[in-house]
Amino acid sequence: MPDLSFVFAQSLSGLTAAMFLFLIASGLSLIFGVLRVLNFAHGSFYMLGAYSAYQIVQWLGTGPVSFWVAAFGAAAGVALLGGIVERFLFQRLYGKEELYHLLFTYALVLVLGDVAKVLWGTQQKSLSRPPGLTGALSLFGATIPHYNLFIILLGPAIALGFWFALQRTRAGRFIRAAALDRETLGALGVNVNALYTGVFVLASFLGGLGGALITPMRAIVPGMDTEVIVEAFVVVVIGGLGSFWGTFLGALIYGQVLSFGILFFPRFSIFSIFALMAAVLIIRPWGLLGKPLK
Amino acid sequence: MTRVLTLLLAALLALPIAAEAQKPIKVGMPMPLSGPPALFGEPATKGAQMYVDEINAKGGVLGRKIELLTRDSKADANEAVRVARELILKENVDFLVGTLTSAEGPAVSVVAKENKIVFIAPIPKTDQLTAADKLHPYVFRVAANTTMEGRSAAEIVAKWPVTRVGTIAFDYAYGQDVTRAFVEHIKKVKPSVQIVDQQWPKLGEQDYNPFINAQMAKKPEAVVSSIWGGFFVTFSKQAKALGYFDALKYNFIGLGEAGSPETTKSMGADYPTGIWGNSYDAFYWEDNPGAHKDYTARISKYLKDQYPSSWAIQGYIGMQFLVEAIKKANSTDSDKVAKALLGLTIDTPIGKQTLREKDHQANRGQLYGKTAKDAKYPFSIMKPVTYVDPTKFMD
Repeated sequence: MPDLSFVFAQSLSGLTAAMFLFLIASGLSLIFGVLRVLNFAHGSFYMLGAYSAYQIVQWLGTGPVSFWVAAFGAAAGVALLGGIVERFLFQRLYGKEELYHLLFTYALVLVLGDVAKVLWGTQQKSLSRPPGLTGALSLFGATIPHYNLFIILLGPAIALGFWFALQRTRAGRFIRAAALDRETLGALGVNVNALYTGVFVLASFLGGLGGALITPMRAIVPGMDTEVIVEAFVVVVIGGLGSFWGTFLGALIYGQVLSFGILFFPRFSIFSIFALMAAVLIIRPWGLLGKPLK
Repeated sequence: MTRVLTLLLAALLALPIAAEAQKPIKVGMPMPLSGPPALFGEPATKGAQMYVDEINAKGGVLGRKIELLTRDSKADANEAVRVARELILKENVDFLVGTLTSAEGPAVSVVAKENKIVFIAPIPKTDQLTAADKLHPYVFRVAANTTMEGRSAAEIVAKWPVTRVGTIAFDYAYGQDVTRAFVEHIKKVKPSVQIVDQQWPKLGEQDYNPFINAQMAKKPEAVVSSIWGGFFVTFSKQAKALGYFDALKYNFIGLGEAGSPETTKSMGADYPTGIWGNSYDAFYWEDNPGAHKDYTARISKYLKDQYPSSWAIQGYIGMQFLVEAIKKANSTDSDKVAKALLGLTIDTPIGKQTLREKDHQANRGQLYGKTAKDAKYPFSIMKPVTYVDPTKFMD
């Protein structure tokens, strides 16, 4: 029986991973929920967020706030790019067959991957943890890096903010309405196209922010786009595509299964996640908190 | 009149032969040029290209220029096989030098065997490539292999005052083979060592926290890792934050080129300075064979990088072996060149290298050292850096 401090440390590391995945998967889920597009290129926005943050830190130098300026600047830049891509490219796809969505977003993955390679080359890049969050604290015998703690707190904060915006604001009501019935909403005089662009911008912002915030924990390398998209898909499939809290739950489950899976199946922890996903697909194909498609 | 005609005829007949002699010798190079492994694939092709340019500037070999045709193998065995076939069948390449991963190497080796074309692998490390049942007359390796790398690590760790040792490696051919070689050899050279923990993240894992926690819970005194390249950056950032290297008192050795200048440079102050690492090359290697200094100056200029990549040398040495063998065979016929490669010893920038006759494997050791800060560079270096000659423990 492993001791408790170890179990505690393991659950926290699962939680950190979960909150990152939530940040990324929530954008994917939002786009699918509202726009009905499976956006493979969401991982590319995550990658561009990471590279842009690196680039901005290079320009600013290492100051006390440069990391934060870089993270939010990168997310804003990616959001802008997302808006442009949606406005000029995605809008031609709505209502077309899903195969076109898949082909188009996949093409976008390849194009953006090459763009990143041209701009930043193939050598790995790395950013340090921001000043003030470089330390770690000891709790119940487990070491918890401050930065991980920050991520663990940021996840629920974003989730709650999001939920509040969707439930309590006018824009949120429109977004929920657009997810249910686009035509009627349009007939009621709401500019659905602008709403879609807004949703896409928001989702890209989350993806970009996820990429920027992960840089102190991971190397920035070509290929990080496709790695993360697979994980994000697993999360939304488990939680339910298009379901907001489902994505949160899916991310939590993913993190914990990965953390504790290695104790029971040291060489098959990744298998336990896919097994879980397969089980969900068989029992509830629409995910734990999703709704069956009509 | 007859004499003039005869001369003309002779000249006409000689024309195609002369043209033939002018045709370049074509060398195909399948190498990952996209995705994370492009990190190493790209500089390796550039090292090969630099060697080719230098040889061509001196008039080529056997009076013919060399033409290098690179193709993106996407670090995928199927794709590597596809481009290797395309190079052989459509481009009519005379030789193959290339591949990077331990999946690509053995796959392309089969193509080389089918087409009876010499294939020199500059980077894949898996023992499988030159294992007795897979070996054929046309495959050669100028990279280190997993046995040599694992045993080199065991020789180093055996000198540390530790007995509880852990391992962490990706769960696939390279990680398993190098870990096995380490474990077997350390038990031989230091029987008191116990392997107390083994972690096997999947290849390309991004979140190492669970593995790091689990390993620390077993309280090893030292750890041998083969988390390679860019993955090491991710791994060590997460490990450092969790106090992993402090807990191990820096008794940690990173195989898979964790000590390469590329890696320490990209991490700067975040690098867990004090650990041991290895690398194929290091531009700051002072205690080097004479030719290395000159090579470093040339590659630095060629790559336009004052801290040139440590992977370029693998492409360079691969091409060098091929050209020296063509010279020795005085032919571009693969059967003759393959024979010439057997037991061939050449002077490379890292000193004398020999392709052993019995397993077609070069005695390619690597540079090892404990990392330390150095005022001359804005990143850690291996100091002192030592070439571990594997000749003693290759069998």
